[in-house]
Amino acid sequence: MPQGAVAATPGLQSFIKSLKSTPVEPSIEHLISLLKRRQIRSSRPCAIATAALLLRVVGEVRGRDAGKLLRRIREVGKRLTAAQPREVVVGNIVRRVLGLVREVTEDNADTDTNANSEMSHSFHAQHDSLHRPQLSSSISTFSPLKNAVTEPLDTNLHQSDISESAEPAKRPSLQTSHTSYAQSTPMIGSLFGLFSHPDTPSTASTPTGFQSPAGKDSSITALNLDRLADLSTSKVDLKAEVLDGIRELQDELEQSDDLIAANALDHIHSNEIILTHTASTTVQKFLLAAARKRKFTVVHAEAYPNDHTATHATVLTGKKRYDENDDAEDQWKPLTAAGITVVLIPDSHVFAIMSRVNKVILATHTVLANGGLVAAAGAHMIAKAAKVHQTPVVVVSGVYKLSPVYPFDVDELIEYGDAGNIVPYEDGDFVDKVDVDNPLYDYVPADLVDLYITNLGGHAPSYLYRIVADHYRAEDITL
Amino acid sequence: MASTPHSDPTTPNFDIVAAYRTLLASDPEMTMPVAAIEALVEALTHSTANTTMETLELLECQTEILKASIPNPISLSAGTDLFQRYIITTLNQPSRTGVNILGPSGDFRAIRNHLLSNGRLFVERAKASREKIASFGRHFVRDGVTVLTNGGSRVVGALLHSAAESSFTRFRVIYVLPPPSSSDSKEGEKIVAGLRSRNIPVATIPDSAVGYCISKVDMVIVGAEGVVENGGIISRMGTYQLGLLAKSKGKPLYVVAESHKFVRLYPLDQFDLPIEQMVLEFKVTDDKQGSASEATEDEGVADMNGGVTSTKCSGVSAADAVDFTPPDLISGIITEAGVLTPSAVSEELIKIWF
Repeated sequence: MPQGAVAATPGLQSFIKSLKSTPVEPSIEHLISLLKRRQIRSSRPCAIATAALLLRVVGEVRGRDAGKLLRRIREVGKRLTAAQPREVVVGNIVRRVLGLVREVTEDNADTDTNANSEMSHSFHAQHDSLHRPQLSSSISTFSPLKNAVTEPLDTNLHQSDISESAEPAKRPSLQTSHTSYAQSTPMIGSLFGLFSHPDTPSTASTPTGFQSPAGKDSSITALNLDRLADLSTSKVDLKAEVLDGIRELQDELEQSDDLIAANALDHIHSNEIILTHTASTTVQKFLLAAARKRKFTVVHAEAYPNDHTATHATVLTGKKRYDENDDAEDQWKPLTAAGITVVLIPDSHVFAIMSRVNKVILATHTVLANGGLVAAAGAHMIAKAAKVHQTPVVVVSGVYKLSPVYPFDVDELIEYGDAGNIVPYEDGDFVDKVDVDNPLYDYVPADLVDLYITNLGGHAPSYLYRIVADHYRAEDITL
Repeated sequence: MASTPHSDPTTPNFDIVAAYRTLLASDPEMTMPVAAIEALVEALTHSTANTTMETLELLECQTEILKASIPNPISLSAGTDLFQRYIITTLNQPSRTGVNILGPSGDFRAIRNHLLSNGRLFVERAKASREKIASFGRHFVRDGVTVLTNGGSRVVGALLHSAAESSFTRFRVIYVLPPPSSSDSKEGEKIVAGLRSRNIPVATIPDSAVGYCISKVDMVIVGAEGVVENGGIISRMGTYQLGLLAKSKGKPLYVVAESHKFVRLYPLDQFDLPIEQMVLEFKVTDDKQGSASEATEDEGVADMNGGVTSTKCSGVSAADAVDFTPPDLISGIITEAGVLTPSAVSEELIKIWF
C-alpha cells in the first residue's frame, strides 16, 4: 500500500492508515461511513479499501471453521454493499474473497476424499487422471484464457492446466494472482446435470466419475462446508491460505493497470487518432505505454461537468485531483511530455470529430455480466457516435471491475450527482425555475463495444460471461 | 447410423415410439428431450444388453427408430444425444484411468442401475430446472414493463407465473396465441388463463399483430424447442419474425430454455434444419383439385392431408412448424445454469462432446 502524504480529509489513505491501529468492528463502521459519505469513491479506491478491510476481518476470525468464515465475510459484505450499492466493485471483492474461501476448502476436501494425501498436489498429473483426462489438453488450447478455463469438473484439472503454463505446482491455484485465482469454479449446471446422482455425499463414493461435477456443485453449500472444513482442518491452515489469497488479490489490484497497459502496442498504431474520455488512470497508463514506442494523437473529451478539472489536470500534468493519488507510484508523466499531441475537446464536439478518429478507448466504472458497462456520463454518446462512424470502441478495465450483476434495470445503476456542478446554487432564479439533472454514469450496451482489454488480455463482450463464471461462485452472486 | 432399425436383437418386443408417446401423454409437464431420455431408459430396461458395445448399439438404433417416426425430432434429439454422450463418457472413464472409482464390481452395471433406478428423477430434475429458470428469469420482469411472449412454452409460463407471484411487480403481458390448429394452443390458453387469474393483464394477439404491438413492448421472452450450437434457437413458427421486429425496435429478446434442450446443430438459415416442413409449397390450381389448393389460397396454410395423417416422417404440418432464430437477435438465454449469452451455448456443447 502506498505511503503517501498525510491526507487532511478522510479518504482511502486515512482509512488504510487507521486500519492498522483500529479494531475490526470500528474499521468496518469507518469504511461504511466513508462509502456513505462518498469520501471513498470510484472503483479502484473502493476495491483497495474493501480488500484491505477483508484482510483484517479474515485475520480476526477465530477457529478453523470455513462455514463460520464464509458467514462472517458475507455479513460484512452485505453491510458494505448496502452502504453504497452503486459501487459494485465492493461486492465484487467480497464475492471473490468468498470464492477464495470456498476454493481453499474444496481443494483440501478434494485432497482428503481422494485419499491421496497432500502428495496429490505435487503429483497432479496422476491426480487429474482420475477425472476425465481427455479434456485437459483440448480445452486449454481451445480457450484463449488458458488459466481461466472452467470445466464442469473439479480442481484437479485446473491444476494440470496451470502446470502446463509452467507454474510451480504446490498450491497452484493461489499463486496465479494476476491471471485468475478462481480456477476451480465449476461451471454450474453442466449439461449432464440432468443425470447427476440424487445426493452424493462425496466425489469418491459416487458410482460414476462423471457425476462428481454436479454432485459436488450441490454438495458444496454453506451447510456442507462445515463438514468439509472438519475434514480439512487437520492438514491446512485455512485462514493463512485465505489471507494469502487476499494479498494476491491486492497485488492484482495494484498490477492490473500495468498488465492492461502491456497490451497497448497491439492496439495503438503509429499516427492513429485515439479518442478518450475522463481522467482515467488505466487509460492514461495504456496510452503512455504505447507512447513509448509510437507517435499518435490523442483527442481527449473533457467530461464536463463532473470530471473536467481532473481531465484538465491529467492532460497538463498527469496528476489527478484526489489526494490519495498523491503518492509517487501513481504519478506519471503527461502524454504531452512523451511527445504525444493531445487535443482537448468539449464533449459536445465528439460527434464532429469522430469521423477522423481511428479508435475510441473508454475507461469504465463497472463492467456487467452481459458485456455492457457503466462508465462516466458521456460514454454512451461517444460509443454511439463511434458506432455510426464504424470506429472501434475498446474498453480498458481491470477484472476486478467485472461484476456478476446482470443489468435487469439500468436506471438503478446510474447515479445522479451534484446538480450544482452544472448550475451553481447561487443562481437562485435558475434553481427555482429549472430542473437540473447531473447523471454521473452512463450505461453502454454490449453491442456498442468491440473489445474489452482486462488484465487477462482482450475479450469480446460476448465472452465476459465466461470470465464472470471463472471469478465468482454462483453461490455468492447474491450476497 | 447405418443400422437397420427393426433388426435389433436385444429388445425383442419393445416399441420405443409407443413408450415415448405414452410418456409425453402421461405427463403434460414433460418435455420432449426428457421423454426421449425416459424412453431410452425404458428400452434399456427391456434389453438384455450386457456389454458397453451392445448398449451403445441398442441406444443408437432405438434413437434412430424414434427419430424416424417423429415428424420433428430436433428437440428430442437433444435428449437422446445427451443420453448417449453421458453413457459414453461415463463408460469411458474407468478404462482410461485404470482406477475403478465407479464401484466394486462392474462399472457398467453400476451405471445401468443408476439409470434404471433414477428414471423418474430425471423428470423431477427437469421440472426443478424449470422452476430454477423461473426464479432466475423473474428478475427480468421489472415493475411496469410490458412483456411480449409467444405461444405455448411451459417454461415461459412458469417464469411469468413466478413473476406474477411477486407483489412488487406489476406487469402486463402481450401473448401471441398459437393458432388453434397447433398442438400447443391449449397450453397457451392455459397460461393466459392462469396469468389473468393472478391479476396480470394479458392481451392476446395473433401472429400478424406483432408489428402493430411492438412499440408498446418493453421486452420479449420466448421459449425454445432447441437451442443450437451457434446460440440461435429453434422455436415455434413466428419466433424469427418476432426476433427481427424486436431487434429493429431495440427491444431485448430473452430465450428461456432448460439446458437439456441444447442440441448439436448448426443451421445457417431457415431451410437448413434437418426436418421437412410443409410450409412453403408453391402450387397452381390444376396441380391437385380440391381441399389442398383451397387451403393454401385461403389461409396460407400448407397442405394438411399429406403431413398430419401419417405419423411417419413425411414432414411437419404448418401449424406445428418451427423456425430458426439466429443468435444475433437474442439478448440472452436464461437457463437453469444462469443467464448465458448465445455464444456460451457452443461451449457447453463442446464440453460434453469433446
